[in-house]
Amino acid sequence: MNQAEVSQLISKLRIRISPRHKNLKCPEGPQGRLNKLRKTVNALFKYERLELNYTIADETRGYAERLISEAIRHGDTHKPTMEMADYWIEEKQLIHKLFKVLVPRFSDYKTSYTMLYRAPKAYPDIVYPRSVLELRGNPFPSILPQRIDQRNFIHNILLEEAKKAYRAEKYEQITKSLNEQDVVDK
Amino acid sequence: MLLRSLKLHIIQCGFAPVVLQVSRTCSNMPLSDTHQSPDNAVSGKQVKSERKLVVPSNSRFIYPEFLPDPKMEWRNSLREKLERLDMIQRRKHIDIPEFYVGSILAVTSSNQHAPNKATRFVGICIQRLGCGLRANITLRNVIKHVGTEIKYQLYDPTIQKIEVLRLEKRLDDELLYLRDAPNEYSTFDENMEAEYLPEGTPVPVNTTLVKLKPRPWRARWERKNMKGLADLELEERFYKRAEELATPWEKYDLMKQYRRTIPEEEQKEIFAEVCSELHEVEVMRKKLKRKKVFVKPTRSS
Amino acid sequence: MLSTICAARKFSTSAVTNHIMKLTRLRVVDNSKIGKQAMAEGKPPRCIHIYNKKGIGTIGDKILVAIKGEKVKAIIVGCVKEQKANIPRFDSNNIVLIDDNGTPLGTRINVPIPIMLRTILKEKTFSKGADYTKLLAIASNYV
Repeated sequence: MNQAEVSQLISKLRIRISPRHKNLKCPEGPQGRLNKLRKTVNALFKYERLELNYTIADETRGYAERLISEAIRHGDTHKPTMEMADYWIEEKQLIHKLFKVLVPRFSDYKTSYTMLYRAPKAYPDIVYPRSVLELRGNPFPSILPQRIDQRNFIHNILLEEAKKAYRAEKYEQITKSLNEQDVVDK
Repeated sequence: MLLRSLKLHIIQCGFAPVVLQVSRTCSNMPLSDTHQSPDNAVSGKQVKSERKLVVPSNSRFIYPEFLPDPKMEWRNSLREKLERLDMIQRRKHIDIPEFYVGSILAVTSSNQHAPNKATRFVGICIQRLGCGLRANITLRNVIKHVGTEIKYQLYDPTIQKIEVLRLEKRLDDELLYLRDAPNEYSTFDENMEAEYLPEGTPVPVNTTLVKLKPRPWRARWERKNMKGLADLELEERFYKRAEELATPWEKYDLMKQYRRTIPEEEQKEIFAEVCSELHEVEVMRKKLKRKKVFVKPTRSS
Repeated sequence: MLSTICAARKFSTSAVTNHIMKLTRLRVVDNSKIGKQAMAEGKPPRCIHIYNKKGIGTIGDKILVAIKGEKVKAIIVGCVKEQKANIPRFDSNNIVLIDDNGTPLGTRINVPIPIMLRTILKEKTFSKGADYTKLLAIASNYV
């Protein structure tokens, strides 16, 4: 029996959030867990695409999304947001990136700001599920195979035409044979 | 109760146009934070509010129990909706006024054990817990030098009347430390008159600092970061231990905050759903209040 | 020093329940002579038996207390422990001393007592057994 905390308003995140956090096996406790996540959040803002353990990626995703949504919501003049960004981003030049690059990029997004993909496991070496976490709108080529329109390739056009010609020929043959049968019947 | 409200819901769906009309007529009243006189408001903002109902921004402080439990495993949108319908239904019968932790309330409830079948308890609200129909408050008062507390369910059908005798806030969200404070901090007269607060004024914050009795206490207050406590006058080792156990990183845990609250979009949805009815109830209450205030003039020679 | 702290941390503790059980110190709230004396001397009575099957006393239960070297029966008229909705909770565990017939030893109760006691004590009274309702007559204030 809890009551929702109402002291501050928070924007809704557009990702699936698990009901409970993951402890991430940290001997230093909750503070160590946040330190671990800080590193990945920082790296995500720096490189925009990371390949890492699925559990950590899933946890990091929420924090990164919240940080971006807070930045969009309050802007860089809001002191608590700035303090939060200062805590989460260790390389201070990335704070400028957050407010000057990512906020304009994501301000009119209707979807989530990050993407999380499951990555293949290298079978004998790694048993933990791997994943790829990236910011949307990053400069890298897409992870998912792009669907290119292949109908206009020259060999496809030629094959298409050949198919049509073959069919036309067949139809002609059939009609001819039918006509011959009619003549014989009469 | 669920079944009854389900029926009610179906009935409401059946008469959808009627409901719509009702909500439109009451949307003529602006729902702003400052309470204006109704005549003034109708003429002033009719054009603007006809299209859109304005949800007051402080709804979440006045009606926190309308927000569901943020624990995700326990969320159930249908149950929450039915509960809200039941709550509004209850609010149409009794007046549950705006109050905060630290306000002084008087609750009159039916009691089968009492000789006149009703009891009245006056006290300061020290805790407000729960959401939906299970919302409850704890009142505390010192009667004959013995601290007495009673917990009341806000939507309990046995409650006859809830009066706010003094509307104010305190510095903390929970005043459980009053149990360890001297009696004068929680002594209130049972025949206290309701204090009048002019409409539109912000709720005053009582900034009294409570001086606790010496230890032992019911909790280790030095570890709780209470704003309303005066200097605790403990030995150095207590503060040292409190510092060791403090969790300063928790204010940076963005997802922990997120899991504890209801996001703004959902809050807006919920209050947009109930605000027309709540406003209607409030208007009714104001009318009743005005009726009660009116005193027939007597001739004095 | 450090080892003692570590040893102290090895067992878990639970929240305080404030139950009234055997050896709980209680507060006499009537004006009986023995009760007043015991409270004034700073030796409040101890519960040594609870006459129910749970062994944990609540409002309206009869208990046996050890007070100034004597065994006296008493009725609980208020508990510190958390109560359900609409039931009052007090800052002290209050008792009223009674004799075997249910007649209170004092003539006045100085603190508020829960109004539900009126029903509870009436239900516990039998025509030829102890009559507890006399306790209600000496109460000065109900909540």
